[in-house]
Amino acid sequence: MTTSNPEGDSSVSSELEVVSADSELRIGVFPCMCGKNIGAVVDIDSVAEYAKTLPGVVFVQVNRYTCADPGQREIEEAIKEHELNRVIVVSCSPTMHEDTFRKAVKDAGLNPYLCIMANIREHVSWVHRDDPEAATVKAKDLVAMAVAKAATLESQKELDVPVTQAALVVGAGVAGMQAALDLADAGFKVNLVERESTIGGIMAILDKVFPQNDCSICILGPKMVDVAKHPNINLITMAEVETISGYVGNFDVRVKQRARFVDISKCTSCGDCVEVCPVDVPSRTDQSLTWQKAIQIPFPQAVPSSYFIDHKSCLGMDLIRCGKCIDRCEKQAIVSSDTDRYIDFEVGVIILATGFKPASPEKIPRLGWGRYPNVITSLEFERLINAAGPTEGSLVRPSDLTKPTSVAIAQCVGSRSIDTTPACSNFCCAESVKCALLIKEHYPETEVTIYYQDLRMHGKYFEEQYLKAREEGVKFVRGRVGEIQQYPKTKNLRVSVEDTTHNKLHLLDYDMVILSMGAEGQSGNFPIPVSVTSDSFYIESHPKLRPVDTSSAGVFICGGAESPKDIRDSVIQASAAAGRAAIILQRGRYPIEALSARILQDKCNRCGTCVERCPYGAISEDGTGKFTVMGALCQACGTCAGDCPKDAIYMPNFTSEQIEAQIEIALTDNPEEKIVAFACNFCSYRGSDLAGISRMQYPTNARVIRSICSGRYSTKFAQKAFELGAGAVLYSGCHLPSDCHFQTGNHWMAKREPRIRGWMKRNNIDNERFRVEWVSASEGKKWQTIMNEMAEVAEMHKKSTLKPEKSITKPKKKTASKTKSKPKSKAAAKIKKKTKSNSSSAKKSATKKKKGGK
Amino acid sequence: MVDDSHNQEFEELRKAARPCFQCGICASSCPVFRVTPQMNPRMSVDSIITDGEIPREGAEWLCAFCLMCEERCPMGVSLAEILMGIKNISSKEGKAPPDYVESGEALLAKGSLSPTSNRSDKKRVALGLPDLPQPDLEQVKLIFKATGAYDVLEANRAAVKEEAE
Amino acid sequence: MKYAFFPGCTMANRLQFAEKSVRMVVPEFGIELVDLAFTCCPEQNSVRSLSEDTWVTFAARNIALAEAESLDILTACAGCHESLTLAKYELDTNPERKEKANEILEDMGLEYKGTSSIIHVHQFLFDEIGVETISAKVVRPVPIKVVTHSGCHLLRPQKIMQVDDAEAPVKLDMLCEAIGMESLEYMDKVMCCGAGVRKTDSETSYAVLREKMTSITMVEPDAMIVFCPTCFITFESGQRVTNRLFGTEFKLPVFYYTELLAIAMGLPDTDMLLADHRVKIELPKFVDTKKEDSESISTGL
Repeated sequence: MTTSNPEGDSSVSSELEVVSADSELRIGVFPCMCGKNIGAVVDIDSVAEYAKTLPGVVFVQVNRYTCADPGQREIEEAIKEHELNRVIVVSCSPTMHEDTFRKAVKDAGLNPYLCIMANIREHVSWVHRDDPEAATVKAKDLVAMAVAKAATLESQKELDVPVTQAALVVGAGVAGMQAALDLADAGFKVNLVERESTIGGIMAILDKVFPQNDCSICILGPKMVDVAKHPNINLITMAEVETISGYVGNFDVRVKQRARFVDISKCTSCGDCVEVCPVDVPSRTDQSLTWQKAIQIPFPQAVPSSYFIDHKSCLGMDLIRCGKCIDRCEKQAIVSSDTDRYIDFEVGVIILATGFKPASPEKIPRLGWGRYPNVITSLEFERLINAAGPTEGSLVRPSDLTKPTSVAIAQCVGSRSIDTTPACSNFCCAESVKCALLIKEHYPETEVTIYYQDLRMHGKYFEEQYLKAREEGVKFVRGRVGEIQQYPKTKNLRVSVEDTTHNKLHLLDYDMVILSMGAEGQSGNFPIPVSVTSDSFYIESHPKLRPVDTSSAGVFICGGAESPKDIRDSVIQASAAAGRAAIILQRGRYPIEALSARILQDKCNRCGTCVERCPYGAISEDGTGKFTVMGALCQACGTCAGDCPKDAIYMPNFTSEQIEAQIEIALTDNPEEKIVAFACNFCSYRGSDLAGISRMQYPTNARVIRSICSGRYSTKFAQKAFELGAGAVLYSGCHLPSDCHFQTGNHWMAKREPRIRGWMKRNNIDNERFRVEWVSASEGKKWQTIMNEMAEVAEMHKKSTLKPEKSITKPKKKTASKTKSKPKSKAAAKIKKKTKSNSSSAKKSATKKKKGGK
Repeated sequence: MVDDSHNQEFEELRKAARPCFQCGICASSCPVFRVTPQMNPRMSVDSIITDGEIPREGAEWLCAFCLMCEERCPMGVSLAEILMGIKNISSKEGKAPPDYVESGEALLAKGSLSPTSNRSDKKRVALGLPDLPQPDLEQVKLIFKATGAYDVLEANRAAVKEEAE
Repeated sequence: MKYAFFPGCTMANRLQFAEKSVRMVVPEFGIELVDLAFTCCPEQNSVRSLSEDTWVTFAARNIALAEAESLDILTACAGCHESLTLAKYELDTNPERKEKANEILEDMGLEYKGTSSIIHVHQFLFDEIGVETISAKVVRPVPIKVVTHSGCHLLRPQKIMQVDDAEAPVKLDMLCEAIGMESLEYMDKVMCCGAGVRKTDSETSYAVLREKMTSITMVEPDAMIVFCPTCFITFESGQRVTNRLFGTEFKLPVFYYTELLAIAMGLPDTDMLLADHRVKIELPKFVDTKKEDSESISTGL
C-alpha cells in the first residue's frame, strides 16, 4: 500500500517526525464475543473467517472477553509472536475501551496509535437483534472498513514539552492575591503584576464585608502583607502586561512598569510630602468625594507601602516648577528621573485575575447621579461610612453634611438592562442589605427602604442577614426605581417607583439615595487572545466541568474577570485556578496531543483558511508565508482539515485517505441502501452508543465513520459517498450553539451544508438523502429516530434505482451519481474485490454493478 | 372571555411583550399612573404575558402617548406600540371613546383635527399669514377606505347606537 | 434654502401668532418657506389608536407631497414632528409597510420614496444655525427667568428622534440663554403636559398638568418656553382649568420660543405676536446703552 509521507512541521513539532509506513502490513484482528452480548446476534466465527481474507491480515483470534486480563494478554502475545504491526479489536465502542487496548498494545512494544477498534456491539449486536443475518453482514463491513483504515495508520510520537517552573498572575485584587499565594505556598515562583500602585483591588476600599460584616481592610491587610513578604512572589505594581509570546509551559512575558517617582525601598510612608504638595487631585480611593495630593498613597495599608506621584497632575519635579516634595523628604526617596521600564521573564502558566469595573451610573441619567449630590453609588457609600474615608465614617449628605433621616436604596442599577449590562451582577442585592444594616447600625432611627426587582440572597448565610435586616426595620418594596428628581432648595430627592405587589405608585421624598451599582466587564485586550463575552467577561472552557480553564492551554481565569461575584466566590475560584495551574507546573512537562494536525507543506497553497478555523490559535504563519501547527496548542479536532481546499492537513488516525477508504468499503455492496453516517466522538457517537446500550432497535443500513469532531467532516466526504451511490449520508455533531467540545467545530460543519446541498442539486440528488443533525450524548432515542427515518429514505432511493429482472446482463444506469471514482488505495481495491467474491449474504440482484475495466 | 389565542394581532403583541420582566419602571415613569392607578402600562403587558389575554377594560385609552415608558424600559419592550396595538384592537371592536370617534369623523370630513374656521381665518389675515392650500378631501376619503379606518368608524358608530338603544 | 413648511393644524388654526413668529424668524437665517396641501400630520393619539395603517398612510402622503417638490419638511409642532418622523422610520425600515402605503398613494398620483428629511424648528435653530450665530443676531436681550419644556414628542424615543438627551435636555435652555434668558432647572422637566389623555378623560389630563405646574412654579420662573402649540395651549389655557378644578393659582405666561427670538432680534411688529397671549407679561425695559431713548415692549392690557 502506498501513503504519502507527511512531513514534520516546524517549531515544537520538529521532534514529531512520523515514522514511515511499514513495508509489510501485518494486521491482527481480534473479534470478541463479549459473552453473549455480541455472540448471540453476530456470527463471530463467520466474521473471523471473513477477516482472514482481508488484505494485510495475518492473524485472527476470537475471544470471549477480549478486555479481560486473559484477552489482553493474548493480544500482547500475538503481537510479539506474529510480529503484528497493526491491531484491530472488533468488539464494543472505542469510547469504552480504546484506551484499554492501546495500553495493552503499548505494553507489548507497539505504538498505541496503531491500534483501532470496530464497534459491533453498540452499533450492531445490540441494535439489530431481529436480523442476525444482516447484522453479520454489517459487522463484516465494519471490520473491512477498519482494516482499510489500519492500512494507512502511522505511529505517532507521544511527546511533551518542558514547563517553566514559574507562573504569571495578572491582577492583584483578592482573587489574584489568593491565586499567587496558593502557587507560592506550593513552592512555585509567581510574578504578580498589578496595574495600580497598590494591591488589594476593590476589596481594600470597602468598609465592612457581607455577611459577617467584618472590616474589609482588616482581614485583607494581613494577606496583603503575606504577598509582600512571600519569598516566592515577585510583586510588580504600576504595571501591565505588554506582550506575551510562546505557548503553554513556555510563555515569554514582557511587562511595562510605569514610573513611580518614589523609591519603594526608601519611602517610609511618613506623609511629610503631602503637607507641602500644592496640587489637589480628586481622590480615586474616595471615589472623588474628596481631594488627594499629586503625591499620594491610596490608603494607609497599601502594599507596597510607598507613595507615588501622579505625574500628569504634578507641576514638575524640578526647582523651577515645584519640587517641594523633593526638598521635604528626609529619606530623599523621590526620584525625579524615574522612567517607565520593561521587565521580561518566562513562565509556564498564566492566571488572569483582572477583576471587573464598577458600573458607572452616568449611563442612566434618569437616576440623577452626578447632577444631584445626594444620589450616591454603593462604592461612594462604602467610603463615606468607612472610618478611613472622607468623613471619617460619618454618614452624611454630600450637599449639606447633615445626617440623613431617610435613605432609599435602588437595585439593579447598571445591570439587567439592554442599555448597559444585560446580566445580573450577582453581588448587589447582598451589598444593599449590608448597606442597610450598616446604616441602621450607625443611625437606628433612620428609615431605610430597599427597592428591588428580585432580591437575590443566594449565598451561604445570606438569608439570615436578610431576615435580620427585616427585623431591624429595613423596608423592602418590590419595584425597580423609575426616576429620581431633586428638590431645588433642599436637595432632597423624590424617588418614583411602583410597588408592583400592590399596583401603587410611590412618589416619596428621601434625604439620600444609594444606587446599588453592578459590575461592568473589562476583560479582553490581553496579549494572548482569550475569548470574552459580549459584555467583556472571560469565557471559560466549559461552564460546568472546566470553569476556570480557558481554550488557551495554560491560561486560567478567576474572580471578577470571569464573571461578577463576591469576595468568597472570588477566593474560591482563585484557589481553583491555582490548583489547575499547579497541576501543569508540578508535572513539569506538558503533553503535546499525539494526534495533532500537521500541514503538508508541499500541498499547502498558503490560503490561511486553517488559521481562522482553529479555536485554539494553534496555527500560525511564521513571517515567511509558511503555516505551521503548534502541537502543544492543537487539540486534534480536525476542523482545519475539514475546510482545507487542498486537503493539505494531515490528521493522524483521521486522515482524508483513511476516511475515504472507509467510505469506499462501506459502499462496495448495495450502496443505494446504505447510510454513511459521520458521528463526532464526544456527542453524536456517544449518542449512537447510548441507543445501543438502551437496546433501541433500528434497521441495519448505517455504516458509522467516527471522527473526533464534526468540524472534520469535509464537503468532499458527502460528495464521495454520493458519487459512490450511497442511499443517504448523515453528518451528525454536537448541538449548536455551544455544545461542541472544540468550541466551534459544529458551527464550521453547519456552514458547509449549503455548499453540499448546492452540489447535490446540480447533480440531481434528492435533498432528503443528506441530513445534518445535532445529537448529544444523551440522545439515544434521537439517534434511533434518525436511523429509522434515513433507512426509509435509503429504501425509497433503492427502489428508484431497481431495474426489472430481465435486464440482468445490461449495465445498470445510475440515476443519481456520475461515473464511479477510482478507489484511491490499492488496499481498498483489493478489499472490494474480496468482498465481492466472499460476502456470503450479499444479495445477488439485477442491481449489481458491472465493473468495467477499472 | 374572548379567546385571543388564534389572533394574528395578538401574536404580534405577544411577541413584542415577551421580554418584559415586570420590573415596574414603566409604571413609575407614567405621568397618568401618577394621578390614577387605572392606567398602568406594566399591568397591561402583564395581561398579555401572564394571562395570555388582551386587556379589555379600556384602561389603555388613558395613555397620553408620552413615550416615557418606551424610553426607559430596560428590556427594550416597545410599550407605547403595544399600548397602541391594544387601542387598535379596542377600536376595531367598537370600543373607542366617543371623543376619538369624533376626531376620526373630523379628519374624514375636513382632513384635519383642528379645522379652519371663520374666526381662525380672520386671525390669519390680521397677522398677515398666507392662505394655506387645502388638501383634496377625496384623497382623505380614499385613505380612510383603503386603510380600514372607515370600517373602524362604522364599528364605533354602531356600538354607540347600540348603547343608546 | 427652501423648506416645505408644516405648521400643523393646531398651530395654523389655533395658535396663529406662533406660526407668525416662525415665519418672521426663519427668513433671517436664509430660509424660504413653501406651503403645500398637507392634511393633519396625523395626530398620533387620535388617529393611530384607531388604525395604525391609517396613520402611516396619511403621514406617507404628507411626506410624499414634499418629496414631489424635492423639499425637506420643516415642522413647528412637536406632535407633527414625531408623527412624521416615526412614520418615516416605519416606512424606511419596513418594506412591506412602504409597499402597502405606496399602493394607496399610487391612486392619488403620489409616491413615498424616503428622500425628504424632517426637521423641527428646534433642530434647525440649534443644530443648523447654532447658538453662536443666534447670539450674534440679538439686539435686544430678554433677561427673564424661564423654565423650558421641550415636550415629549421632540425627545422620545431618543434613539429615533435624536433631538436632545431625553432625560436631561439642554438645547432649548441653551437657545434661551442665547437670547439673554436665564433658564432654571426644575423637577419633572421631561414630564408630559397631559394633553394626550384629554380626549379620554379631561380631569385626569388636568391632574397631570397640575403635577407639572406644581414642579414648575416651585422655582418661581417669570415664564415658560415651549416649542409645541399643543403644549402651549395646554399650559396657557389649561392652567386656568386646573385652577378651577383643583383650587390652584397658576398664572404663568407661556411663550413659543420663536416669539421671543423675534423680539430679541429686534424684528418689527412683534407686539402683534404677544397680543393674543392669555397670560400677559411685561418684558423688562431694554436699555440700549448705545441709544439715548430706551424702549420697552409692553404687552399689558
